[in-house]
Amino acid sequence: MAFFEQHMHAKPTTFLSKYIFSYDHKVIGKQFLWYGIFFLGVGGIMALMIRWTLAFPGVPFPMIGQFLFPETGGVVPPDTYAMLFTMHGTIMIFYAITPILIGAFGNFLIPLMIGARDMVFPLLNMLSFWIAFISGLLLLAGLFTPLGAAAGGWTSYPTLSTLIGSPGVGQTLWALAIFVLGVSSTMGAVNYITTIIVLRAPGMGYFDMPLSVWGLGLTAILNAIFIPVLGAGVLLLIFDRVFGTTFFLAGAAATSGTGDPILFQHVFWIFGHPEVYILILPAWGIVSDLLSFFARKPAFGAKATALSMTSITILSTIVYGHHMFTTQMSPLLTQSFMTLTMTISIPSAIFFANWLGTIWKGSIRFHSPMLFSLGVVFVFGLGGLTGLYLGTVTTDLYLHDTYFVVGHFHYTMAASVLLGGFAACYFWMPKMFGTMMNEFWAKVHFWITMLGLNGIFMGMMVVGYAGMHRRLYNPFVYDFMANLVPINTFITWSAIVMGLAQIIFVVNFVHAVFFKKEKSSDNPWEVGTLEWTIPSPAPHYNFKDLPVVKCGPHEYGNPNLTGDRDFQYQTEELA
Amino acid sequence: MVARTEIRNLEGRKMVSSIGMIVLLVSFSMLFATLLLGYAIYRLTSDVWPPMGMQRVPLFLPTVSTFIIAVSSLSLWKFEKEFELKKEQILLPLYLVTLTLGAAFMGVQFKLWASMKAMGLYVEAGIFPSLFYTLTWIHAAHIVAGLLGLLLMIPAIIKQDFDEKATLVANVSKFWHFLGIVWFLMYVVMFVL
Repeated sequence: MAFFEQHMHAKPTTFLSKYIFSYDHKVIGKQFLWYGIFFLGVGGIMALMIRWTLAFPGVPFPMIGQFLFPETGGVVPPDTYAMLFTMHGTIMIFYAITPILIGAFGNFLIPLMIGARDMVFPLLNMLSFWIAFISGLLLLAGLFTPLGAAAGGWTSYPTLSTLIGSPGVGQTLWALAIFVLGVSSTMGAVNYITTIIVLRAPGMGYFDMPLSVWGLGLTAILNAIFIPVLGAGVLLLIFDRVFGTTFFLAGAAATSGTGDPILFQHVFWIFGHPEVYILILPAWGIVSDLLSFFARKPAFGAKATALSMTSITILSTIVYGHHMFTTQMSPLLTQSFMTLTMTISIPSAIFFANWLGTIWKGSIRFHSPMLFSLGVVFVFGLGGLTGLYLGTVTTDLYLHDTYFVVGHFHYTMAASVLLGGFAACYFWMPKMFGTMMNEFWAKVHFWITMLGLNGIFMGMMVVGYAGMHRRLYNPFVYDFMANLVPINTFITWSAIVMGLAQIIFVVNFVHAVFFKKEKSSDNPWEVGTLEWTIPSPAPHYNFKDLPVVKCGPHEYGNPNLTGDRDFQYQTEELA
Repeated sequence: MVARTEIRNLEGRKMVSSIGMIVLLVSFSMLFATLLLGYAIYRLTSDVWPPMGMQRVPLFLPTVSTFIIAVSSLSLWKFEKEFELKKEQILLPLYLVTLTLGAAFMGVQFKLWASMKAMGLYVEAGIFPSLFYTLTWIHAAHIVAGLLGLLLMIPAIIKQDFDEKATLVANVSKFWHFLGIVWFLMYVVMFVL
């Protein structure tokens, strides 16, 4: 802990050194935040195009349809539909959620919460943002290539993603973009892990770290271990496409040995299942902290929560086969993967119970970050429970590749991660930008989002259970699905409402960042973790004197507290 | 007192960057582990290996490579020891030996690729050459990075910045030894077995 005095850069003065090529973890965090919000918008509009096509087949997409698809009079064409769901998935997972939760809040929170002045490798940190930026450009460039963007699904399974399935440059650019982004994530992970190990303030043991830092640290470990696995997979895919290797070409030539498309699926999911936890762990950590902060109670079983998150991290590495039950694996293997998958419910149940224990009999303050955190508890509960059906071989064989899967993973990954991200945005806004967002509009935003997303994803589960296949341009050409049009219309209207509600957030956010005059106080939420002991917004080099930590992050209701405070700063020692 | 803080800071920085380097090497080992696992699967699911109409790659050149990289690892290890002990005279010869061996390794790799082409093993010819070319390419790309790391050490040797550059030397050697181990595994798995 705090092995050495960090080198302090002079305070940047020019626009370039202050906002563009900044070494400051707080600025890099904000850069990632804007980057993520931009892609959230792009991916969101793509989602609306997909939903529009499913609810109103053959009807032109309103407003921008005529401009985007002039040759069909504004209707989304079938090949474009495949590109849309591919790019929507890729953008949301790798370019929206990852930068917001890991890039933005990881960078912003880790040094502040552990009492450090910056990340341990500031230059590496800056490079990781700009490499992510290049990766974003590569991905978007795919949209402007002659045959269009990647269209093999966000998983890009061969043979859909080989030169036979997608001959265009778009798919190659996709693979390259993912590889470059992986390089950026690995740099971030090296930084986070090292920072957490060496720069914790004096007196801060691992269990004195806020659970947000636990979540972000475990995420970084998963990133460091599993991003290279995906890296190897997409590298081989790039070689297949560019140099003519035959890794994923089935039956390439009878005499020369054949490639194996299924191998890509193995490699993809060895990475892909931990990726689910890479995305969700930061949100879990943040929610675990916020529930305690706003229930004004110590986090119930905080150590057990941290250890449960750790066991989930470990278990997440050995369950990937449950994504591939229908690939003719040996039944022995499917059953092993099923059992291991079910094992994850044990630690999940432990920390879910701890969440409930934390709010039990708390004096809850229903501010917007708390509402969003409770939202996470609700949607993650639903997402986790529906996962049981997909982790069980017998039910998965029926539900595989239906909208039930889509609903499930949107509940766990989209809904809960998004709500967790919003909770973090509203909560740390004062520390990031020095102002608070409007609380009334935050609550309006919460309720519309909550209703909208449940309408969407619950609806998806219903149509999925009724047998609606995912990825089809127009599933209603099948008679048995024709009567699912009304419920698809309902889902689409929910999506439109939820999409419009995000405008409230953007306006609120932009207003608070750029136009609000009224500064927030240093500790508006009355919380004791280290970042709330310094001024808002956090100053250059965070802590003038490095803090000395005396107690854990969730100390509430100590009888020795004086005044009308019910919380205790981590730097305070009370008998 | 000042000196002690200075030493503490140097030690701290060295420790920090070695933790960073270890995390990075864990990442790299997962990359190579994935590739070797892929190799194992292709090989184990194939009826005959090498596939019909292809011959094994002769052991001679890969063995030479293995020998070269092993000796370069040894000389770099010795270099690092002497660098820590600040022995100026022996540093340059050890460094030059390592650098020459590193370059020689790349040379032998080019020779290996040329000989594979001469055997009719082209990249597009099926899974067998695909694997051999791809794995050696990716390893060679890392060797190039390692060589660049070795070049970065030149100012340290000329200026004899023993304290300031100890971290750099330690990290470049870790990376180089790692590449040696990966090559040895590739040698055993792909060429010998």
